[in-house]
Amino acid sequence: MIEIQNLTKDFGAIKAVDDLSLIVPEGITCGFLGPNGAGKTTTIKILTNLISATGGKAFLHGVDAIAHPKEALSHVGAVVETPEFYPYLTPVETLAYLGRIRGMHHDEIKSRSNEVLGEVKLEQWRTTRIGKFSKGMKQRLAIAQALLHEPDILILDEPTTGLDPRGMVEVREIIRNLKRQNYTIFMSSHLLVEVQEVCDKAALIDHGKLLVYDSMDNLKKLTKLGKIEVTVLGQVQDAFLNIVRELKNVRAVERINGSIFIVTLEGQSNEMAELLSAIQGMGAKVASFSQVGLPLELMYMDLVKESR
Amino acid sequence: MPEEQARHRKAPSDLMQIPIVWSYELLKYLRSWRLLASIAIVVAILALIYILPPALGRPYNGTDENVAIWVEDFSALNMSMPGLIPPQSFGTINRSMIDLDSLQLYVNGTTYPSNNGASWVFLQLDFADELPSFMGGSPKLNAVVFMENLTGSAVTASYDWTTSKEDFNSLFLGFVTILVIICATLFAGDALVGEFQNRTGYLIFPNPLKREVLFLGKFCASMTAGTLVVVLFYVGLALLSFLTVHGIDDDFLASMLFAVEFLLATTAVGYFISSILKGSTGAIVLTFFLFVIILPIVDGVSSFAGVKIESSVTFAANVITYIVLDPYPVDTSVEAFGFTIYSYYPSVSSAAIVMMVYTVVAMALSLIMFKRKQLTG
Repeated sequence: MIEIQNLTKDFGAIKAVDDLSLIVPEGITCGFLGPNGAGKTTTIKILTNLISATGGKAFLHGVDAIAHPKEALSHVGAVVETPEFYPYLTPVETLAYLGRIRGMHHDEIKSRSNEVLGEVKLEQWRTTRIGKFSKGMKQRLAIAQALLHEPDILILDEPTTGLDPRGMVEVREIIRNLKRQNYTIFMSSHLLVEVQEVCDKAALIDHGKLLVYDSMDNLKKLTKLGKIEVTVLGQVQDAFLNIVRELKNVRAVERINGSIFIVTLEGQSNEMAELLSAIQGMGAKVASFSQVGLPLELMYMDLVKESR
Repeated sequence: MPEEQARHRKAPSDLMQIPIVWSYELLKYLRSWRLLASIAIVVAILALIYILPPALGRPYNGTDENVAIWVEDFSALNMSMPGLIPPQSFGTINRSMIDLDSLQLYVNGTTYPSNNGASWVFLQLDFADELPSFMGGSPKLNAVVFMENLTGSAVTASYDWTTSKEDFNSLFLGFVTILVIICATLFAGDALVGEFQNRTGYLIFPNPLKREVLFLGKFCASMTAGTLVVVLFYVGLALLSFLTVHGIDDDFLASMLFAVEFLLATTAVGYFISSILKGSTGAIVLTFFLFVIILPIVDGVSSFAGVKIESSVTFAANVITYIVLDPYPVDTSVEAFGFTIYSYYPSVSSAAIVMMVYTVVAMALSLIMFKRKQLTG
């Protein structure tokens, strides 16, 4: 379990993290969202002993991560930003170094190294010096080192950064596997699709403050705005779109081409049904009427806009 | 589900983690160009000093054949030799060390009787009281004292000679200081700041490892690499010394210990600089110039002003060379051209204390700074 209590971090006059409180229960995969400068990485850096907190507490597996980082980090695997590796070491040597620091036995280091390097598809590079690695390979190795000691808690700061699309899919698959193994995962990301795909819960912060924290299902329900793509038969006139703009709950209308437009609607299923009836009532022959965009993305944009 | 073994795993104690960090940090130096470059510098220093003077006509040893000896009346020396029949004349041999077994004297082209005390005696005259000590040691003169008056005779000598161990060793030891500074620059200058600038801190800090353990492991590795280079220099010098002047100075090992102590102090200061600067290049450059230019300027200006700065670590480091001089040099001042020129020498004990104080203070400060430093950006 990860427990953050009233965590604060000031950089001079700037509050990077502002009285943040959050509990990630054991075995849960939690997405940590927010725009650039929201305080996500700062929070993760405090949890992983990279920077100190100005105030508040953070507990990892019940151990105070600020007062006793060594004990707290014993059961944590972390990937923070894109770490650089010691270029003179090979992946196997790097894992041996970190494994020894963590108190792993020689045989265990050997077998686990083979496993995790296989998991991140770096077996063939196991004895090549890391100085020659690409950013994507380093990111995969970073994930491997975080998994080496089979931690209870995984803290991942934008784990797919620097990876190509295939690498991103692979990392998401790794995280899904870990989720199935009941790891507690705390993962920041800019990629909302990633969070929506792999996380059970998500926390959204901005200006260091927690805006919302709930299960993915509840967050989807919380989403106030929806985008509906409407395709009609024939050409849509500007006058028609102007009338649609004036309809109840409609916030915006955007023309895509002659017969397709997107309506930004405030509301859920009922409001969508009302909109469809209204458009059909105006004489339009609707060929398709479907929600576009991710609920989480819409919620994110909505909440972040409100907080700014 | 993570296995039970992993669940109950505990990170090793701090004391057990230090050698782990130490060994992997040392591997960094063993695999880097820095250690190779340092060793190359050792070889270059030894080779240049060993090869250049003989190549330029100043060998360290050799054989002189039929060298004319200017013979004077012994009474000119104004000295007595208790227990001996008063000698009548003497001649000097202008070489540091003479192999007495090889010394042959010729008077008017004829072999003079061997050194049995009855006809001549070889002496090393020391003028410690009569002449001021300059740059350590005291003026010495190799003399052959004759029991008969040979002032009018053509006296020649043949002998094997070598430079004295003291002179030979001190010539090389004058370069130890710069070697140590190079080691401190290469092995300490960016040791801490590199973790931040190169972003390797993102890998190592989120581990169950205290910053002080990381610091000590790194420091031990830097010292090991530096000591390896310094010891290599001394071993090389000892070999050359045995080969050339048939031995090493009595204080050779003491010099090496002071060199290691100076390495300790400069490495600690290098770590301090590394803990406060934000860039590796700046840290490396500042470490080097601090010891090569800034502190030596302070030492020189202070000496010129007649102030002895015992607290300067570069001044204290002079003990590395002076320790082999016998007797150990003492502070002097000479009036010349209307100026008083001061020559100051660190005392052995104060040099040892100063270097130790630099080590302790710089290590403590750099550890505090390293612990406080945050991985932002």
